[in-house]
Formats: sequence, C-alpha cells, structure tokens
Amino acid sequence: MSVVPFLLVAAATGTASLLVRASRSWSTAIALVGLVAMAVLATTIGPTTSVRLGGANLAGSDWLRLFAILGSLVGALLVIVDLATVHEPDVPGVIALGIGAAVLALAIDDPGAAVITATAGGLAGVLVAAPLGAAARAAFVGSRELRALAVAGALAIGATAWIARPLGDLSRVPEVFGLAYLAFAAAVAIRLGAIPFHLWAARVADAAPGIGLPLLMAWGPAAFAAVALVWIDRSVAPLALPIDGERSLVATIGALSVVLGLLAAAIQDDLEHVVGYTIAADAGFVVLALAGFDPAVWAPSRTWLLVFVVARSAFAAWAVAIAGASGTRRIPELDGWARRTPVLAVALVAIAAVSIGWPGLAAWDARAAIAAVALPDPIAGLVAAAPVAAIVIYGRLIRTGLRRAGAAVRAGRSDAPAWPSPLPRRPIVGRGTFERTIERISHALAGTLDVLWTVPAGIRLNRTLLGSVAVLVLAGLGGAVAAGGLGVPEAARAVPVLGEPGPGPEASGPPSATIEPGATPGFSFSPVGPGQGPSQDAGGSGEPEGSGGTGD
Amino acid sequence: MNPTVAALAVATLAGGVLAVSSRDVRSVVLGLLIVLAGAPLVADPWPGPLAALVRIAGALLAVRLIVVGVRGLGPTAGSRIGWPAASVLAAAGLVAGVASHGLGATALGPAAAQAAGFGLIVLALAPLVIGRDVLRLGVGAVLLLSGAQLVRVALDPAPTDADQLVAALLAVGLGGAVAVIVAAAGAAGGLDAGGGLAGDRGPRPPDAHRIERPAARRQAADAVVEAPVSPARRRAPKPIEDPGAPPRPPGPPRPRRPRPAPGPRP
Repeated sequence: MSVVPFLLVAAATGTASLLVRASRSWSTAIALVGLVAMAVLATTIGPTTSVRLGGANLAGSDWLRLFAILGSLVGALLVIVDLATVHEPDVPGVIALGIGAAVLALAIDDPGAAVITATAGGLAGVLVAAPLGAAARAAFVGSRELRALAVAGALAIGATAWIARPLGDLSRVPEVFGLAYLAFAAAVAIRLGAIPFHLWAARVADAAPGIGLPLLMAWGPAAFAAVALVWIDRSVAPLALPIDGERSLVATIGALSVVLGLLAAAIQDDLEHVVGYTIAADAGFVVLALAGFDPAVWAPSRTWLLVFVVARSAFAAWAVAIAGASGTRRIPELDGWARRTPVLAVALVAIAAVSIGWPGLAAWDARAAIAAVALPDPIAGLVAAAPVAAIVIYGRLIRTGLRRAGAAVRAGRSDAPAWPSPLPRRPIVGRGTFERTIERISHALAGTLDVLWTVPAGIRLNRTLLGSVAVLVLAGLGGAVAAGGLGVPEAARAVPVLGEPGPGPEASGPPSATIEPGATPGFSFSPVGPGQGPSQDAGGSGEPEGSGGTGD
Repeated sequence: MNPTVAALAVATLAGGVLAVSSRDVRSVVLGLLIVLAGAPLVADPWPGPLAALVRIAGALLAVRLIVVGVRGLGPTAGSRIGWPAASVLAAAGLVAGVASHGLGATALGPAAAQAAGFGLIVLALAPLVIGRDVLRLGVGAVLLLSGAQLVRVALDPAPTDADQLVAALLAVGLGGAVAVIVAAAGAAGGLDAGGGLAGDRGPRPPDAHRIERPAARRQAADAVVEAPVSPARRRAPKPIEDPGAPPRPPGPPRPRRPRPAPGPRP
C-alpha cells in the first residue's frame, strides 16, 4: 500500500484534534486514536510502492516505513505520558500533524517540494511553543521559532532551486555548488538547533511544553535533515567538486555541537534545558553526516537519525514524567526521585545506556562511521567517543535520585501501584432459596460491573505508574533501535524509489565528475580529496584540487 | 516579458510594501492577502484552474487565521522609514531580480517571478532582523518564504499541481503560526516583543516554565480566549445556588409539544 492512507489519517485526526481543542479529553482521544491508526497503516507502506499525485512522486521505502511506524508509536506513547502527567493542550494534535508532515516530506522525491513540506510541518510546532494564555515570553519564543523556520526554509528552497536544472557553464563553477550546499547545511543546522544556531532552540525549550520538544527539535528537523542528505547524494556529492572548505565548515559546526552541547547539558539545572542541549549534542552527528560526501555515510546517517529521534523522545518523556510526579523540573530539588519512582529510575538507566552506547552497538558504530567520514582521524575518534561524557549528565541525575527524598519529591506522587477502595457488599435480603439464588446471581453480575467501573478510578490512581511504564516502553524502543533491532540496518541501507529523472545538475555534469557506483543505486559518488578519488584532471576541467578536506 | 505577469509581480510587491510599512493592522493583513494570492499567479504558464483555486483558498484561509489572531489589537509598530523607503527597497530588489535572472544559468521561469521574489526577500529582511513587533516578525517570515518560492518558480520548471498544494499548505501553516503568536502576544498585553528581547539578553529564568495544574491552566486559557463581548450582548451570569437554601418550589408543568397526527407526510 502507498503512503497516502497514512497521510490522510494523520491530516484528518490531527486537524480534528485541534478543531475540538476546547474539549481537551476529546482532542487527546482523537489524536491518540489517530496515532494508533497511523502506526497500523505505516506497517502497510510498501518499500517499492510509488504513487504519482499531481505531478509529484510519493515513494515508499523500508526506512520511510520504519520512520513512520516509530514516529506514530513514539507519538502515541508521548501522548500517554502527557495524559498521565500534565496534559498539555494542543500537543497531541500537533504531534499527529507533525509526524504526518515529516513522512510526507520524506515520501516526496522532489527535494524542493520536500523542503517546503518539512517547513510547513515545522510550523505546526509554533502552536505548542506559543499557546494561548501563555506568558509574553512564550509569544516571543514563538516568533523566534517562526523566524528560524522561515530562514531555514528560505535557505533550503533557494539552494534546491538554484541547482535543480541544467546549469550549462555554471556547472564548472564549484563555488555555486559549494554555496548551495552550505546554504542547505546551514538550514539543517538551524532547524536542529546545532551550536552556534542553538539560541532559538534553547528559548523553545524554555517555553514549549516538554512533551512537545521531541517533535519540535527532533522529529521535524530529522525529516528536514533526511531530505538534505538525499539532496546532497543526488545533486552535490556525485559531482566530486573541490568544496572542501565548505565541508570543513559544516563538519566543524557538527563537531562543536556534539562537544559543546554535552558540556552545556552537564551544567544545566533545569531538566528541559538538559533535554534541549542533549538534543543539540546528538544533532551534531546529523550535521556531521552532511559533511560526509561518501557512500559510506548513507547507512550510518539513517541509522543515527532513527536512534536520535527515538532516544531523545524517551529522554524528553522521562523529564516530563519526573516533572509531573514531583512538581518541579529543577534537579537540585529532585532529591530522592528514584526512590519514589523506581520504574522511572530503570527507564533512565536504559535511556543512558542507549544514549551512550558501547562499541559494537549499532548506534555507537553509526556515530563512529559518521565521524570517521566527516572528520580527520584523531578528531574523529574524539568526537565519536564524546557521548561517553554524557555519563556525567545521567550520573548526576541518578545520584540525585538516590539521595534521601526532598520536600518536593515527598509531596509528589509515587509510581507504586494503588487500588481503588472496594464497594461494600450488598446484603442478601431474599426470603426463600430461589429468591436468594437469583439475588446472588444478580449481585455477581452487579459486582462484575462494579469492577469494570473501578477501572477508570484505578487508571486515575495509577497515572504516575502508567506514565512511568510508557517511558519505560519508550526507553525499550530506543534500546531496540540503538541495538539494530526492528530491521534498522536493513532499512538504513534501503534506497527510496526514484521518480522520473527531471532536469538537474546531472544533466549538465561537469567534465571533472567521474562517476563511480555508490551504495545508492541511481546515485553516484566520488570521494573528494587528494589521494582518494579520481584526479580532477580526469575530465580536464583544470580546476584546482581540494586540499585539507575533512574526509582526508 | 509577459506584461500581465509583470503587472502581477508589481502588484505582489505593492502588497509586500503595504504589509511591511503600514501601522494599521487591517492594511497589514490586506497586504499579506495580496502577496499570498498574487504570488502564485506570477508564473508562466499560469497554474491550472484547480491549482490556482487551491493556492487562493490557502491564501484566504491563512489571512482569515491572521485576522482571528489580530482581532481587537492596536496598531503595529510599522516601518519607521515609511512606505516610500520601503517602495524604493522593493524596487531595488526588483531590478536586481530582473538583472540576475537565472542566477548565472538559463532560467526556466519568468524574470518577473525572480524580480518579485527578490523584492519580497529584501522587504522581509528588516522586520525579520530588527523587528520588535511579533506581527511584523510574522509578516517578515511570510514575505521571506513567499519570495523564496517565487525565486524557485523563476529558476526551475513550472510548479506541478502537487507543488501548488504543498505551497498552499505552507501558506496556511504560516497564517496559523502568525495568528497563534500574535494572539498569545496580544493576550499578554501587546504586540511588542520588547520584553522578550530584553529577557533574551539577560539571564534565563532557572525553570523552563512553571508547572501548572491542568484545571488552573485551563481556566487561565479560557479566561484569555474569551472573546470581548459588547455590554448589550453580554448575558447575565447564572446565579450561584446556595446549597443551604430551601429547594425551589416546582413551577407549572412544561407544556407538552403536540405530536403530529399519524398519517402519510405531505
């Protein structure tokens, strides 16, 4: 089946959820049902199914199907965690719409249209960043987010439009492709909140509800980055142009984001700030992947994108659950949280293990491969191992949780199971045997109904436990993805079905471009840099060879 | 150059100038409507009837959302240099767009689209970079993305119907985002984002945002979204019954609605 049913359900339920926002329970229920239906429909997306609508090709792939399934499941679990803790308005509907827009952007084979779709999907996040009734600061943060989205979208639209046609003599000018590449890479860095483009993202972490952060800072930008990776593979990398300076700049931004993001997260006292900066740190590897003009970066980058979105969603959900249980997000006030909420403690350990990883784990190997392709050797090793420093972040949280419970935690809720009070037994008042028999049977039936009626009360009493279990499931999902389960390696190697080739730089490829078969059928690559790939003289372009490239 | 397309490009730019320079909120919204509805027609060939209808419907919906957001708000900060200076800036962008049509290679679209796109991008810069008014920031975002899409129309093959649909979705998303931001700012006291900017330069508050109980938060939101009602239309509040008061005496029985006589319907 094609991706169309998935998109229709996402659009319908997301819009309906926002339209009935005055009734928060209905809004949440519609979005939750929609997300579950989306997860079911996502499993039917065919890896080779392609449908042509209005001149655009909507193509499926294994990776797209996995992204859609994980997005829907993670979205549903996030809504459950939200429901069990603070129940923010509008977030469920925005999650459904955002996941739908991200999948649509990934399904469209035209990068120009995909960029516009990804930008439109990001705009849905403004609704949760600047909700009605919020403080003036929220409106300001929303306008900052809108500005970042607009600038990133305009840069990406301009980049894709510039080189998406026969360029004639202009294709001999590497600066053209370098500029377009740099513009798109900057757009991705802005959307991901990578350092030094992190200011707007940090402010969003201030104002947006914690449960909306995964969509605002991970899922939507990840789709945008995936579009950029495909665009680079199709339009820039195969030309083997000497744009090492631009690649070095992008690689530097990625490496800085990894290191400084971890550093910033380690010194924060607010849980949402910690979540935000760890997202920026993990996003650094996505930016690094943009600098790797090599077929070897195709599978690791897609593996890492999936690990990134699921693991960060689990951490954000954990932070929301802790805040809902304890009533505070400040780490110094969270003494003893692990004693009160042991399920969340187990979940945090799992999230830490998934986020840090170890050699041999698919997530670790993906990070190492991305860094090795994008950075020179000693720096690549350091950057690949930098996430180990996150032990400080998670260790601090666990150490805080193992202390004696503080006032905020004692006043909060525990995730220990609780049972609603049983209803009193009904007296038997029948006079004869037959009457009493009938009475007992009817009392048994009524007692069964009484048990059913206690289910809502039981859910209400155990909402912290339910939220904790949802976080634990999310952490397990992250672990499965990070370990290479759920078919992640196969999906990451998969190639989307391409539509009919239109005019593009391939039509006017420079003579210097030497085509070699790459990992992606239909695409072609040639390593950039001296000593690795074919020399620039092969085509007789006479252009200077790149030197000091990041991939050397 | 097709004169109709050129005229539409100039009209689109005029809408941009109006949106950027006017202080009256209604004029700003009118300018945005002109930009969003005119930009799809700055193309050669024109989009098909269905695609044009979708784009115009998207523009109308976007502007409608913005109107809902700005309802009851005062004037915007506007442009301090006035509309003549904005017009000159737009004209400079227009000339640059025409002169650089194709950006070094053969363009597949009309020069008027690139001219209008460059003009809108130039107009968007000031509100985006130095705007302290959230509505002006929103206007800048709309103009920037509209300009970028026009440049795409000028350089690449004519947009497909799917491209037009996606562009319409983007317009609606932009309208919704601007409306939400403006409404939030208006509820907080005004369009000026000065407080936020000042806070941006200072130290951040320790907590990301205050945790509120859902019920209290919902009441606060309801209090904010409640639309202003004129005194003449305001309903008297329902009296709160005293739990200790004696029960009200039963009133006269409600007259029963007469049931229609059975038989075939006329």
